[in-house]
Amino acid sequence: MTECLTNKKVLIKGNYAIAKAAVLAGCQCYFGYPITPQSEIGEFMSGKMQELGRAYVSAESELAAINMTLGACSTGVKAMSSSSSCAVALMQEALSYATADELPVVLVSVMRGGPGLGNIYPSQGDYFQSTKGGGNGDYKLIVLAPSTVQECVDLTYKAFYLAHKYKNPTVLLADGLLGQMMEPVEFKPYPYPEIDNSAWALSGAKGRDGRVIRSYAPLADNQCEFLKKLYAKYKTIEENETEWEENGVEDADIVLVSFGSTSRNVRTAAKLCREKGLKVGIFRPITLFPFPSKRLQEISTKIKKFVVVEVNMGQMVQDVRLAVNGNVHVEQINKGVGAPPSPEEIAARIEELV
Amino acid sequence: MEKDFIIAGFGGQGVLLAGEVLANGFMLDDKKVTWYPSYGAEMRGGTVNCSIVMADEEVSAVQKSHADFIIVLNQASFDRFTPVVRSGGTIIVNTTLAEPVKTRSDINYVFAPITQIAEEKLGNNKISNILALGVLSAASGLISLDTLEKALYNVIPPHRKSLIPKNIEALKLGYEYDLLKV
Repeated sequence: MTECLTNKKVLIKGNYAIAKAAVLAGCQCYFGYPITPQSEIGEFMSGKMQELGRAYVSAESELAAINMTLGACSTGVKAMSSSSSCAVALMQEALSYATADELPVVLVSVMRGGPGLGNIYPSQGDYFQSTKGGGNGDYKLIVLAPSTVQECVDLTYKAFYLAHKYKNPTVLLADGLLGQMMEPVEFKPYPYPEIDNSAWALSGAKGRDGRVIRSYAPLADNQCEFLKKLYAKYKTIEENETEWEENGVEDADIVLVSFGSTSRNVRTAAKLCREKGLKVGIFRPITLFPFPSKRLQEISTKIKKFVVVEVNMGQMVQDVRLAVNGNVHVEQINKGVGAPPSPEEIAARIEELV
Repeated sequence: MEKDFIIAGFGGQGVLLAGEVLANGFMLDDKKVTWYPSYGAEMRGGTVNCSIVMADEEVSAVQKSHADFIIVLNQASFDRFTPVVRSGGTIIVNTTLAEPVKTRSDINYVFAPITQIAEEKLGNNKISNILALGVLSAASGLISLDTLEKALYNVIPPHRKSLIPKNIEALKLGYEYDLLKV
């Protein structure tokens, strides 16, 4: 794998970048089932994992793939699966179980158009799917949203780290645009410490008592205790891991909020607005859970308006509204599916909104 | 500065590969660059294209409504992309597979029998895509032959290295094609 490590930039597709980063992060097992627009991840893994003597399984279904990932994670190794929208939908039950079992599952979700089979064009329609979940019960997934191919690499590393640090399923939420585009990238070594899983991993009971990982709590009180503990963990994650990028917010009247690939266009849109004399800043949540609500609330006391730009019918806008709790107007610029609105389109809409 | 490029043609003409070589070239020149393929439910023999954006700062939109330089390798692409050339921009047309007709007065036309040159001078029409990059290098002045040569080494996999000399020859033939003949 050393051939992948380089200080020299390489031009690479987002999907391949994610797959390479996973291998460099020490992913021991990959389980997947092909679906556009993320099939290159499985394609890369099918060759590289074998070459390195690691496990690659082309599963019979998405259901099987994610449950195999749960199984591998229960032994403490780094394991992952990857899929896209309508197939990630099939994995929701297992993700709920993985939060209850506290397993460090890493799932790469490369969004495409929905609902239903939808289409294969880029979309951000699975913000709710990843942050609110389709599984049962009270749970949260850690969700990381890259906006460049370099970030696809950096946040894949981070996904493995956070999943193991907090024993919680972690989603890298990319989209068809990031998956299919190429951009120069540097592959640096995995920068995080290795997490010791020996206290809980099912590693063979030789010389010790057997362990069981399960999410079943027949007594109601036990489940209440467990949920308290789980949510205390989520609070710690919120305090320690919330990440965002902001620019030009200090003197802004309007702050544009966006995540993922859409943020690329929004950055230029803000620049166009500034050139026209409008005081416009940008805010980009990098972690979608934990969501940077606190910072948004702080900003809301100093500005006139938030405008949320996303490629869906309006999902993250709801979290922004919750965060600012009526302090300021929160408007939205959106497009259902496909490439994000162009910087010029966004800038023109902002001018209308002023 | 930001410049937008589109390369278009039939599936199989090496459109995406040519784009990859061009994007690699810009990367070697320390530019910020993105490559994005036409992407959808495509079929063999259909049209294909890719967009390359080169900029000094991080590229914003990877797909643009207009481009500064467009290479079209067949008639269908010529028809489709002529309206997309930015005013003052340039379209490079493979006249072996497209009629050299000017329909706009605010853009530059470069007509070159790209496939024919590849066939006659190199004995292989499959190198049309790289030859077109040579024409682009001369017509745009935005990327040198030297850089494109280096980019070839980045893109062509080790087991196809034997093809590199012929590709370099194609770049040169394209570059040296007399643009004034039009």
